[in-house]
Amino acid sequence: MLQKVHIRLAENRVNTSVAVDRRIPKIFTPGEIISEQKEFMRGHGTYEQDDYLKASVAGVKEQVNKLISIRPLKSRYNGEIGDVVVGRITEVQQKRWKVDTNSRLDSVLLLSSVNLPGGELRRRSAEDEHMMRQYLQEGDLISAEVQNVFADGSLSLHTRSLKYGKLSQGVLLKVFPSLIKRSKTHFHNLPVGASIILGNNGFIWICPIISNEEDNVGGFVQNLEEVVPRPDREAIGRLRNCILALAQSKMMLFDTSILYAYEESLKYTVADLLIPEAMVDVAILTQHRLNIAENS
Amino acid sequence: MELETDIVAHAFGSARLRLANTDVLVAVKIEVEVPFPEQPDEGKIEFFVDCSANATPDFEGRGGEELAMEIANSLAGAYKSTQAFDLSSLCIMKGRKCWKLLVDILILECGGNLYDAVSIAVKAALWNTRIPKVLSVHLDGNKVEMDVSDNVHDCEKLDVARAPIMVTISKIGDHCVVDPSSAEEQCSTASVVVAVSQKRFTTILQSSSGALHPTTLMDCLKMGCEVATQLDMALLQILMKTPSQKDIGFLL
Amino acid sequence: MSRKELISEIGLRLDGRRAHELRRIRCKLGVFTQPDGSAYLEQGLTKVLAAVYGPHQVRGNRTKAQHDSAIVNCQFSMAVFSTTDRKKRPRGDRKSTEMSIHLRQALLAAIKVELYPWSQIDVYVEVLHADGGVYPACVNAATLALIDAGIPLKEYVCACTASLANNDVPMVDISHQEEIIGGPTLTVAALPMSGKVVLMEMSQRFHLDHLPKVLDKALQGCKDIKTILDEAVRRHVEDVGSSSGWGNTSEKART
Repeated sequence: MLQKVHIRLAENRVNTSVAVDRRIPKIFTPGEIISEQKEFMRGHGTYEQDDYLKASVAGVKEQVNKLISIRPLKSRYNGEIGDVVVGRITEVQQKRWKVDTNSRLDSVLLLSSVNLPGGELRRRSAEDEHMMRQYLQEGDLISAEVQNVFADGSLSLHTRSLKYGKLSQGVLLKVFPSLIKRSKTHFHNLPVGASIILGNNGFIWICPIISNEEDNVGGFVQNLEEVVPRPDREAIGRLRNCILALAQSKMMLFDTSILYAYEESLKYTVADLLIPEAMVDVAILTQHRLNIAENS
Repeated sequence: MELETDIVAHAFGSARLRLANTDVLVAVKIEVEVPFPEQPDEGKIEFFVDCSANATPDFEGRGGEELAMEIANSLAGAYKSTQAFDLSSLCIMKGRKCWKLLVDILILECGGNLYDAVSIAVKAALWNTRIPKVLSVHLDGNKVEMDVSDNVHDCEKLDVARAPIMVTISKIGDHCVVDPSSAEEQCSTASVVVAVSQKRFTTILQSSSGALHPTTLMDCLKMGCEVATQLDMALLQILMKTPSQKDIGFLL
Repeated sequence: MSRKELISEIGLRLDGRRAHELRRIRCKLGVFTQPDGSAYLEQGLTKVLAAVYGPHQVRGNRTKAQHDSAIVNCQFSMAVFSTTDRKKRPRGDRKSTEMSIHLRQALLAAIKVELYPWSQIDVYVEVLHADGGVYPACVNAATLALIDAGIPLKEYVCACTASLANNDVPMVDISHQEEIIGGPTLTVAALPMSGKVVLMEMSQRFHLDHLPKVLDKALQGCKDIKTILDEAVRRHVEDVGSSSGWGNTSEKART
């Protein structure tokens, strides 16, 4: 058995920062005055006091017409309708599941907003209520879309599409929600032999490529018997470590950055990617390539 | 894995270890005490583990005490053997006075594989520990008077070459893995913690529910032993590199 | 007075500071990855770690949840090796409980709890090394951790100690050594921008006439601390922001 043990002294710590020299936008910190309040409307991260509009979080100003909000660089997940999330079932209740989505309150998935086996337009009978635990039970992972945001801030989810539903074999990663870049699609079949779901809530699911044609039962099947072949596993493991490297250096996660990181990481073995130097190296190279791509 | 020694100024020895997402701080304090009547020529060593609520909210209040006790007891068990750690060097005067090592372990963040991280940090902290030199001891009636060197730098180091290292082996599916992450720990069907000192086991502890077949168990033990030896070598190597007196802590 | 003088004739304190000078403050945000927000703060030799979890669903006793605001839960603990003589227990003793309550009181004044109904925010502070001014260090570290977690605050909440030396000169940021030698200690937690005092605690006595100037000194200390913390926050935000290319923030901000 060949194994390497890495122990380092703290003084040799690797600096994970990959900050590039760009123009830095103005940063607001809590309590700082943004403007005279009269002309603007207050959005998230701001509040009014003594006729002033003040910031309540540390971050960057965003303005849409007269609406001013301050976006913190890191916070719990704030759901928006249409977001793709990955969550874990925590509780089965009457007609609903409770889902942990890294949001500040538990989200709900109503029995009426899932596709049950047997067609979309099927009526939900009392029997279905008894069967709920057989569809999804505590600890199951699902992908879903945010259907609604309640007044108290909790989310209502739905899985009424074939791409959503229960997740079977794969790896779950948790990163800060702010690192996920919002884009048109959060489901990616990467050409390296793995699929990836970038949940807006910071939960990332990596799994072997799913072929969508077979999967037409509404996503309640879990195929745990099928053994994932080794190359696929390695690809998944490498992707996981790449994403961790990017997240450690606080870089945005989206299909291109992950793919670049994957390609840059090929000179390391999968296990070597856990060494801080390698992680930073991958992050820096990725950053570099992204900058080139952006400027050209 | 990242190690730093000598970061708590109040303590006689200290170390901080960061293993992926696990963060452990260990400080060693010493006191003068009367040895146990059964072992008049040995010192004492005591472990205290504190799971900070910083690690997970589950540790709030008394939540972490059970885990803390478990780790402390297994450490105490591992260090009990005279083969592993020689307490007789801690004796000042037979039957009268001895040093007592108080090893305080603070768990700051918990990302799996606590036992291993704790044992490595403890070993590093003990390595870092300096015991003041006792110049002379004499009996004055019933009272022991001792003369401790005033010079701060005039002190002795502990011999920790044989101090045990603990390795956790978890069984996941059909395979056994070392250094499980917290996710892997949850998936494992059974796990074994072994404390190894110089290729000899001092304690074996089966943690978490689940059963192991005897042959698997033996395989696990063999694996643990090998890994521990490698870990031990790597640790001693890094400890030998005298670190500069630069205060880093959490700032970098 | 038999007591040793806290300030020498040339106006220097025991550790060489002048009366209005703070000890060196060093801090870092985001030291851990598991909590939603974390911070480490050194004030002189006092070292404190703070972690914030939440806002999240109320755990355990659900009846505690409030429909119009979040509940703030604080826990103060001191590592057993943080003081010169070893402590018996890291938490649960009277002093820690009192500290937890005071900490909660100070933070409640700043956190905009009304934004988070039915939720809970956990703040945990751990003292690694105590050398005077433990409470202020905890408040300052907790503020940083809250900012790191992106929790809306009305403004920074900072705390500072002040004392009266030689029965005449107010001085700021008392170290452990100065605490022992004696003299009254006034601990103030304040919202430095609006100048409001959210917590004031005083031990021993001095004449009421002296209070305004000592309080002034402490508030000035809070303001100075706020400036230091603000700088650290800005540096942190800049660093993280430029790594992520200012992420989801609007394109306009970048150009």
